[in-house]
Amino acid sequence: MSKEMSKDMCGCPGAAMQDFRGEQETKEETGKRQSQLRQWPLQLHLISPLAPYYQKADVLLSADCVAFTVGDFHKDFLKGKSLAIACPKLDEGQDIYVEKIKSLIDDAKINTLTVMIMQVPCCGGLVALAKEALKAAKRKIPVKAIVVSLQGDVLSEEWVGD
Amino acid sequence: MKKYLNTPIKEIITNFPQVGNILEAYNIGCVPCTLGSCLLKDIVSIHNLPKDQESELMYRIEKVLYPDRDVKKPIIGNLLQKEAPRELKYSPPIKRLVDEHVLIKQLLTLMPKVIANIDMESDFDRQIILDSLDFIRFYADKFHHAKEEDILFEYTDKNLDIIKTMLADHETARAHVRAVFAALKTQDKKSIIENLNAYCALLAEHIKKEDEILYPWIDRGLTTKQVGELFARFNEAEEKMNMEVIEKCKRFIAELAQKVTKLKGRE
Ligand SMILES: [Fe+2]
Ligand SMILES: [Fe+2]
Repeated sequence: MSKEMSKDMCGCPGAAMQDFRGEQETKEETGKRQSQLRQWPLQLHLISPLAPYYQKADVLLSADCVAFTVGDFHKDFLKGKSLAIACPKLDEGQDIYVEKIKSLIDDAKINTLTVMIMQVPCCGGLVALAKEALKAAKRKIPVKAIVVSLQGDVLSEEWVGD
Repeated sequence: MKKYLNTPIKEIITNFPQVGNILEAYNIGCVPCTLGSCLLKDIVSIHNLPKDQESELMYRIEKVLYPDRDVKKPIIGNLLQKEAPRELKYSPPIKRLVDEHVLIKQLLTLMPKVIANIDMESDFDRQIILDSLDFIRFYADKFHHAKEEDILFEYTDKNLDIIKTMLADHETARAHVRAVFAALKTQDKKSIIENLNAYCALLAEHIKKEDEILYPWIDRGLTTKQVGELFARFNEAEEKMNMEVIEKCKRFIAELAQKVTKLKGRE
Protein backbone atom coordinates (compact mmCIF):
# COMPACT_ATOMS: atom_id res chain seq x y z
CA MET A 1 0.00 0.00 0.00
CA SER A 2 3.10 2.20 0.38
CA LYS A 3 2.67 5.72 1.70
CA GLU A 4 -0.78 6.24 0.37
CA MET A 5 -3.57 6.38 2.87
CA SER A 6 -5.96 3.51 3.14
CA LYS A 7 -9.62 4.21 3.59
CA ASP A 8 -10.39 2.87 7.03
CA MET A 9 -13.87 2.20 8.26
CA CYS A 10 -14.58 5.48 10.04
CA GLY A 11 -12.83 7.64 7.45
CA CYS A 12 -10.84 9.46 10.15
CA PRO A 13 -7.54 10.60 8.62
CA GLY A 14 -5.96 10.44 12.07
CA ALA A 15 -6.45 6.68 12.15
CA ALA A 16 -5.82 5.95 8.47
CA MET A 17 -3.28 3.19 8.00
CA GLN A 18 0.08 4.07 6.47
CA ASP A 19 3.10 1.88 5.87
CA PHE A 20 6.57 3.41 6.09
CA ARG A 21 8.54 0.17 5.90
CA GLY A 22 11.62 0.37 3.79
CA GLU A 23 11.84 4.14 4.02
CA GLN A 24 14.37 4.22 6.88
CA GLU A 25 18.10 4.52 6.38
CA THR A 26 19.71 1.18 7.02
CA LYS A 27 22.95 2.70 8.28
CA GLU A 28 23.95 1.22 11.65
CA GLU A 29 23.94 3.78 14.47
CA THR A 30 26.64 3.54 17.08
CA GLY A 31 26.98 5.03 20.56
CA LYS A 32 24.45 5.36 23.30
CA ARG A 33 22.15 8.33 23.59
CA GLN A 34 21.40 9.84 26.96
CA SER A 35 17.80 10.33 28.06
CA GLN A 36 16.90 13.99 28.53
CA LEU A 37 13.95 13.19 30.77
CA ARG A 38 14.37 14.79 34.19
CA GLN A 39 11.18 13.87 36.00
CA TRP A 40 8.48 11.32 36.74
CA PRO A 41 5.48 11.10 36.22
CA LEU A 42 4.75 12.59 32.79
CA GLN A 43 1.10 11.89 32.02
CA LEU A 44 -0.91 15.08 32.38
CA HIS A 45 -3.46 13.45 34.73
CA LEU A 46 -0.66 12.20 36.97
CA ILE A 47 1.62 15.20 37.17
CA SER A 48 1.39 17.87 39.84
CA PRO A 49 1.99 21.47 38.78
CA LEU A 50 3.50 21.95 42.24
CA ALA A 51 6.40 19.60 41.47
CA PRO A 52 9.71 21.46 41.73
CA TYR A 53 10.76 20.70 38.16
CA TYR A 54 7.84 22.71 36.80
CA GLN A 55 8.54 25.88 38.73
CA LYS A 56 9.48 28.66 36.28
CA ALA A 57 10.37 25.96 33.76
CA ASP A 58 10.09 25.82 30.01
CA VAL A 59 7.46 23.12 29.65
CA LEU A 60 6.89 20.77 26.74
CA LEU A 61 3.32 19.49 26.40
CA SER A 62 3.56 16.66 23.92
CA ALA A 63 0.91 14.52 22.28
CA ASP A 64 1.60 10.88 23.12
CA CYS A 65 2.50 9.83 19.59
CA VAL A 66 5.10 12.54 19.05
CA ALA A 67 7.90 10.90 21.01
CA PHE A 68 7.63 7.73 18.90
CA THR A 69 7.63 9.68 15.66
CA VAL A 70 10.47 12.12 16.07
CA GLY A 71 13.81 10.33 15.96
CA ASP A 72 15.69 12.97 17.91
CA PHE A 73 12.89 13.87 20.31
CA HIS A 74 15.15 13.85 23.37
CA LYS A 75 18.05 15.80 21.89
CA ASP A 76 16.09 18.35 19.86
CA PHE A 77 12.89 18.93 21.83
CA LEU A 78 12.95 17.50 25.36
CA LYS A 79 16.38 18.74 26.40
CA GLY A 80 16.18 21.52 28.97
CA LYS A 81 12.41 21.23 29.34
CA SER A 82 9.97 19.71 31.82
CA LEU A 83 7.41 17.44 30.25
CA ALA A 84 3.73 16.55 30.26
CA ILE A 85 2.08 14.18 27.79
CA ALA A 86 -1.54 13.66 26.78
CA CYS A 87 -3.74 12.46 23.94
CA PRO A 88 -6.41 14.96 22.96
CA LYS A 89 -8.33 12.32 21.03
CA LEU A 90 -8.63 9.43 23.46
CA ASP A 91 -8.05 10.76 26.97
CA GLU A 92 -10.98 11.38 29.30
CA GLY A 93 -11.38 14.35 31.62
CA GLN A 94 -9.99 17.04 29.36
CA ASP A 95 -11.50 19.78 31.51
CA ILE A 96 -9.06 18.62 34.16
CA TYR A 97 -6.29 19.04 31.58
CA VAL A 98 -7.27 22.68 31.09
CA GLU A 99 -7.14 23.23 34.86
CA LYS A 100 -3.73 21.55 35.07
CA ILE A 101 -2.25 23.65 32.29
CA LYS A 102 -3.75 26.77 33.84
CA SER A 103 -2.16 25.84 37.13
CA LEU A 104 1.20 25.34 35.42
CA ILE A 105 0.90 28.89 34.09
CA ASP A 106 -0.43 30.57 37.25
CA ASP A 107 0.98 28.49 40.12
CA ALA A 108 4.17 26.98 38.73
CA LYS A 109 4.73 30.28 36.88
CA ILE A 110 6.24 28.46 33.94
CA ASN A 111 8.39 30.50 31.58
CA THR A 112 7.06 29.13 28.28
CA LEU A 113 4.84 26.33 27.00
CA THR A 114 5.68 24.40 23.83
CA VAL A 115 2.87 22.20 22.55
CA MET A 116 4.01 19.47 20.21
CA ILE A 117 1.42 17.63 18.15
CA MET A 118 1.05 15.31 15.18
CA GLN A 119 -0.21 16.62 11.85
CA VAL A 120 -3.45 14.61 12.09
CA PRO A 121 -6.47 16.90 12.58
CA CYS A 122 -7.60 15.48 15.93
CA CYS A 123 -4.23 16.33 17.48
CA GLY A 124 -4.95 20.04 17.12
CA GLY A 125 -7.19 19.58 20.16
CA LEU A 126 -4.11 19.74 22.38
CA VAL A 127 -3.23 23.22 21.14
CA ALA A 128 -6.86 24.21 21.68
CA LEU A 129 -6.65 22.99 25.30
CA ALA A 130 -3.48 25.02 25.85
CA LYS A 131 -5.09 28.13 24.37
CA GLU A 132 -8.14 27.70 26.57
CA ALA A 133 -5.93 27.39 29.65
CA LEU A 134 -3.89 30.44 28.63
CA LYS A 135 -7.06 32.46 28.19
CA ALA A 136 -8.32 31.45 31.61
CA ALA A 137 -4.98 32.01 33.35
CA LYS A 138 -4.11 35.25 35.12
CA ARG A 139 -0.54 35.22 33.88
CA LYS A 140 0.34 35.42 30.21
CA ILE A 141 3.24 33.47 28.74
CA PRO A 142 4.55 32.72 25.25
CA VAL A 143 3.05 29.52 23.84
CA LYS A 144 4.52 27.78 20.82
CA ALA A 145 2.95 25.05 18.67
CA ILE A 146 5.10 22.56 16.78
CA VAL A 147 3.44 20.22 14.29
CA VAL A 148 5.28 17.08 13.17
CA SER A 149 4.56 14.81 10.26
CA LEU A 150 3.86 11.10 10.60
CA GLN A 151 7.50 10.51 9.70
CA GLY A 152 8.85 12.86 12.30
CA ASP A 153 9.66 16.00 10.31
CA VAL A 154 8.76 19.40 11.70
CA LEU A 155 6.01 20.80 9.48
CA SER A 156 5.52 24.07 11.30
CA GLU A 157 6.73 25.84 14.38
CA GLU A 158 5.01 29.02 15.44
CA TRP A 159 4.06 31.18 18.37
CA VAL A 160 0.41 30.99 19.24
CA GLY A 161 -1.36 34.30 19.72
CA ASP A 162 -3.77 34.66 22.60
CA MET B 1 36.70 40.80 -1.54
CA LYS B 2 37.54 39.86 2.06
CA LYS B 3 38.95 43.34 2.58
CA TYR B 4 35.64 44.91 1.57
CA LEU B 5 33.55 42.50 3.63
CA ASN B 6 35.22 44.00 6.69
CA THR B 7 34.84 47.62 5.55
CA PRO B 8 32.17 49.98 6.92
CA ILE B 9 29.41 50.42 4.35
CA LYS B 10 29.57 54.22 4.27
CA GLU B 11 33.21 54.01 3.15
CA ILE B 12 32.29 51.57 0.38
CA ILE B 13 29.34 53.65 -0.81
CA THR B 14 31.43 56.85 -0.78
CA ASN B 15 34.04 55.24 -3.03
CA PHE B 16 31.60 53.16 -5.10
CA PRO B 17 28.18 54.90 -5.16
CA GLN B 18 26.84 52.14 -7.41
CA VAL B 19 27.02 49.74 -4.45
CA GLY B 20 24.42 51.92 -2.71
CA ASN B 21 22.09 51.54 -5.69
CA ILE B 22 22.57 47.79 -5.74
CA LEU B 23 21.77 47.51 -2.03
CA GLU B 24 18.64 49.62 -2.55
CA ALA B 25 17.50 47.23 -5.25
CA TYR B 26 17.41 44.55 -2.55
CA ASN B 27 15.58 46.86 -0.12
CA ILE B 28 18.71 47.31 1.96
CA GLY B 29 18.57 50.97 2.88
CA CYS B 30 22.15 51.79 3.88
CA VAL B 31 22.39 54.97 1.80
CA PRO B 32 20.27 57.19 4.08
CA CYS B 33 21.64 55.55 7.25
CA THR B 34 22.85 58.03 9.85
CA LEU B 35 26.05 56.20 10.83
CA GLY B 36 26.89 53.74 8.07
CA SER B 37 29.51 52.05 10.19
CA CYS B 38 28.09 48.51 9.75
CA LEU B 39 30.48 46.17 7.96
CA LEU B 40 29.40 44.87 4.55
CA LYS B 41 29.48 41.25 5.78
CA ASP B 42 27.20 42.05 8.76
CA ILE B 43 24.74 43.87 6.52
CA VAL B 44 24.45 40.91 4.19
CA SER B 45 23.96 38.40 7.01
CA ILE B 46 21.54 40.57 9.01
CA HIS B 47 19.16 40.97 6.06
CA ASN B 48 18.75 37.23 5.72
CA LEU B 49 17.99 37.30 1.99
CA PRO B 50 17.00 34.08 0.24
CA LYS B 51 20.18 32.26 -0.84
CA ASP B 52 19.66 33.01 -4.56
CA GLN B 53 19.30 36.70 -3.97
CA GLU B 54 22.25 36.84 -1.61
CA SER B 55 24.65 35.29 -4.12
CA GLU B 56 23.33 37.53 -6.89
CA LEU B 57 23.77 40.58 -4.66
CA MET B 58 27.34 39.61 -3.78
CA TYR B 59 28.13 38.99 -7.44
CA ARG B 60 26.88 42.43 -8.47
CA ILE B 61 28.80 44.15 -5.67
CA GLU B 62 32.00 42.29 -6.48
CA LYS B 63 31.66 43.31 -10.14
CA VAL B 64 31.58 46.96 -9.07
CA LEU B 65 34.49 46.66 -6.64
CA TYR B 66 36.68 44.72 -9.09
CA PRO B 67 35.57 45.71 -12.61
CA ASP B 68 38.59 43.98 -14.20
CA ARG B 69 38.21 40.73 -12.37
CA ASP B 70 36.52 37.75 -13.95
CA VAL B 71 33.83 37.27 -11.33
CA LYS B 72 31.83 34.08 -11.81
CA LYS B 73 28.14 34.73 -12.22
CA PRO B 74 26.17 32.55 -9.84
CA ILE B 75 23.63 30.21 -11.35
CA ILE B 76 20.35 31.58 -10.25
CA GLY B 77 16.93 30.07 -10.67
CA ASN B 78 14.32 31.83 -12.74
CA LEU B 79 14.16 35.23 -11.11
CA LEU B 80 10.67 35.76 -12.47
CA GLN B 81 9.56 33.01 -10.14
CA LYS B 82 10.48 35.08 -7.13
CA GLU B 83 9.77 33.61 -3.74
CA ALA B 84 6.64 35.07 -2.25
CA PRO B 85 7.67 37.77 0.23
CA ARG B 86 8.18 36.05 3.52
CA GLU B 87 5.64 37.06 6.09
CA LEU B 88 7.31 38.16 9.29
CA LYS B 89 6.26 36.17 12.30
CA TYR B 90 7.45 37.63 15.54
CA SER B 91 7.72 35.95 18.92
CA PRO B 92 5.24 37.34 21.50
CA PRO B 93 7.61 39.83 23.19
CA ILE B 94 8.90 41.17 19.87
CA LYS B 95 5.33 41.31 18.56
CA ARG B 96 4.51 43.57 21.48
CA LEU B 97 7.19 46.06 20.41
CA VAL B 98 5.93 45.93 16.82
CA ASP B 99 2.40 46.67 18.06
CA GLU B 100 3.72 49.67 20.01
CA HIS B 101 5.26 50.92 16.77
CA VAL B 102 1.79 50.90 15.22
CA LEU B 103 0.63 53.53 17.70
CA ILE B 104 3.78 55.62 17.28
CA LYS B 105 3.37 55.47 13.49
CA GLN B 106 -0.13 56.90 13.87
CA LEU B 107 1.38 60.00 15.44
CA LEU B 108 3.99 60.17 12.67
CA THR B 109 1.25 60.09 10.03
CA LEU B 110 -0.88 62.75 11.70
CA MET B 111 1.95 65.11 12.64
CA PRO B 112 2.44 66.66 9.17
CA LYS B 113 -1.26 67.59 9.20
CA VAL B 114 -0.87 69.18 12.64
CA ILE B 115 2.20 71.10 11.49
CA ALA B 116 0.57 72.34 8.30
CA ASN B 117 -2.29 73.97 10.20
CA ILE B 118 -0.65 75.07 13.42
CA ASP B 119 -1.44 78.49 14.87
CA MET B 120 0.95 79.36 17.68
CA GLU B 121 -1.41 81.98 19.10
CA SER B 122 -4.09 79.38 19.74
CA ASP B 123 -4.12 77.58 23.10
CA PHE B 124 -5.87 74.63 21.46
CA ASP B 125 -3.02 74.23 18.97
CA ARG B 126 -0.30 74.66 21.56
CA GLN B 127 -2.01 72.02 23.67
CA ILE B 128 -1.90 69.54 20.77
CA ILE B 129 1.84 70.09 20.46
CA LEU B 130 2.29 69.67 24.23
CA ASP B 131 0.19 66.49 24.24
CA SER B 132 2.17 65.14 21.27
CA LEU B 133 5.37 65.80 23.17
CA ASP B 134 3.94 63.98 26.19
CA PHE B 135 3.08 61.04 23.97
CA ILE B 136 6.60 61.01 22.56
CA ARG B 137 8.22 61.29 25.99
CA PHE B 138 6.07 58.82 27.89
CA TYR B 139 4.92 56.33 25.29
CA ALA B 140 7.53 56.34 22.53
CA ASP B 141 10.47 56.94 24.85
CA LYS B 142 9.85 55.83 28.46
CA PHE B 143 7.48 52.99 27.61
CA HIS B 144 8.88 51.76 24.29
CA HIS B 145 12.50 52.84 23.82
CA ALA B 146 13.28 52.00 27.44
CA LYS B 147 12.21 48.40 26.83
CA GLU B 148 14.54 48.25 23.85
CA GLU B 149 17.49 49.87 25.57
CA ASP B 150 17.27 48.30 29.02
CA ILE B 151 15.99 44.85 28.09
CA LEU B 152 15.94 43.82 24.43
CA PHE B 153 19.38 45.08 23.44
CA GLU B 154 20.83 43.15 26.41
CA TYR B 155 20.26 40.07 24.26
CA THR B 156 22.54 41.46 21.56
CA ASP B 157 26.09 42.68 21.47
CA LYS B 158 25.78 46.37 22.29
CA ASN B 159 29.01 47.02 20.40
CA LEU B 160 27.43 45.96 17.14
CA ASP B 161 27.09 48.88 14.76
CA ILE B 162 23.42 48.27 14.10
CA ILE B 163 22.69 48.56 17.83
CA LYS B 164 24.86 51.68 18.11
CA THR B 165 22.89 53.19 15.22
CA MET B 166 19.60 52.44 16.96
CA LEU B 167 20.81 53.97 20.23
CA ALA B 168 22.11 57.03 18.38
CA ASP B 169 18.67 57.42 16.72
CA HIS B 170 17.00 57.37 20.16
CA GLU B 171 19.38 60.11 21.36
CA THR B 172 18.80 62.24 18.27
CA ALA B 173 15.04 61.85 18.76
CA ARG B 174 15.37 63.05 22.36
CA ALA B 175 17.39 66.05 21.21
CA HIS B 176 14.61 67.02 18.78
CA VAL B 177 12.06 66.84 21.60
CA ARG B 178 14.20 69.07 23.84
CA ALA B 179 14.53 71.52 20.96
CA VAL B 180 10.74 71.67 20.49
CA PHE B 181 10.27 72.40 24.20
CA ALA B 182 12.83 75.19 24.01
CA ALA B 183 11.21 76.61 20.87
CA LEU B 184 7.77 76.57 22.53
CA LYS B 185 9.14 78.84 25.26
CA THR B 186 10.45 81.36 22.75
CA GLN B 187 7.44 80.93 20.41
CA ASP B 188 9.87 79.97 17.64
CA LYS B 189 7.42 78.42 15.19
CA LYS B 190 10.06 77.66 12.58
CA SER B 191 12.17 75.64 14.99
CA ILE B 192 9.12 73.79 16.33
CA ILE B 193 8.18 72.73 12.82
CA GLU B 194 11.71 71.82 11.80
CA ASN B 195 12.32 69.67 14.84
CA LEU B 196 8.95 67.92 14.70
CA ASN B 197 9.49 67.15 11.03
CA ALA B 198 12.97 65.85 11.69
CA TYR B 199 11.67 63.70 14.56
CA CYS B 200 8.97 62.15 12.37
CA ALA B 201 11.34 61.43 9.49
CA LEU B 202 13.90 59.88 11.82
CA LEU B 203 11.41 57.69 13.69
CA ALA B 204 9.64 56.48 10.56
CA GLU B 205 12.94 55.23 9.15
CA HIS B 206 14.01 53.88 12.55
CA ILE B 207 10.81 51.88 13.06
CA LYS B 208 11.04 50.43 9.55
CA LYS B 209 14.59 49.23 10.26
CA GLU B 210 13.48 47.65 13.52
CA ASP B 211 10.36 45.96 12.18
CA GLU B 212 11.95 44.60 9.04
CA ILE B 213 15.56 43.96 9.93
CA LEU B 214 16.63 44.31 13.54
CA TYR B 215 13.73 42.59 15.28
CA PRO B 216 13.56 39.57 12.92
CA TRP B 217 17.32 39.19 13.26
CA ILE B 218 17.20 39.29 17.06
CA ASP B 219 14.17 36.96 17.03
CA ARG B 220 16.00 34.37 14.95
CA GLY B 221 18.75 34.24 17.56
CA LEU B 222 16.51 33.85 20.64
CA THR B 223 16.00 30.47 22.29
CA THR B 224 12.53 29.53 23.58
CA LYS B 225 13.80 30.12 27.11
CA GLN B 226 14.99 33.62 26.20
CA VAL B 227 11.65 34.44 24.55
CA GLY B 228 9.94 33.57 27.86
CA GLU B 229 12.43 35.64 29.86
CA LEU B 230 12.05 38.62 27.57
CA PHE B 231 8.27 38.41 27.83
CA ALA B 232 8.44 38.28 31.64
CA ARG B 233 10.92 41.16 31.82
CA PHE B 234 8.71 43.35 29.62
CA ASN B 235 5.80 42.58 31.97
CA GLU B 236 7.89 43.46 35.01
CA ALA B 237 9.02 46.72 33.44
CA GLU B 238 5.44 47.66 32.60
CA GLU B 239 4.26 46.87 36.12
CA LYS B 240 6.70 49.48 37.43
CA MET B 241 5.35 52.12 35.05
CA ASN B 242 2.43 54.43 35.57
CA MET B 243 -0.06 52.73 33.28
CA GLU B 244 -2.51 55.60 33.77
CA VAL B 245 -0.17 57.80 31.74
CA ILE B 246 0.18 55.12 29.06
CA GLU B 247 -3.61 54.82 28.76
CA LYS B 248 -3.82 58.59 28.44
CA CYS B 249 -1.29 58.42 25.59
CA LYS B 250 -3.40 55.80 23.82
CA ARG B 251 -6.50 57.96 24.20
CA PHE B 252 -4.63 60.97 22.84
CA ILE B 253 -3.75 59.12 19.63
CA ALA B 254 -7.31 57.82 19.28
CA GLU B 255 -8.60 61.41 19.47
CA LEU B 256 -5.86 63.11 17.48
CA ALA B 257 -7.34 62.42 14.04
CA GLN B 258 -10.52 64.17 15.15
CA LYS B 259 -8.58 67.15 16.55
CA VAL B 260 -6.62 67.52 13.32
CA THR B 261 -9.83 67.99 11.35
CA LYS B 262 -10.72 70.85 13.75
CA LEU B 263 -7.40 72.53 12.99
CA LYS B 264 -8.19 72.31 9.30
CA GLY B 265 -11.80 73.42 9.56
CA ARG B 266 -10.71 76.70 11.10
CA GLU B 267 -8.99 77.91 7.96
FE1 LIG C 1 14.27 51.88 18.72
FE1 LIG D 1 11.23 50.70 18.42
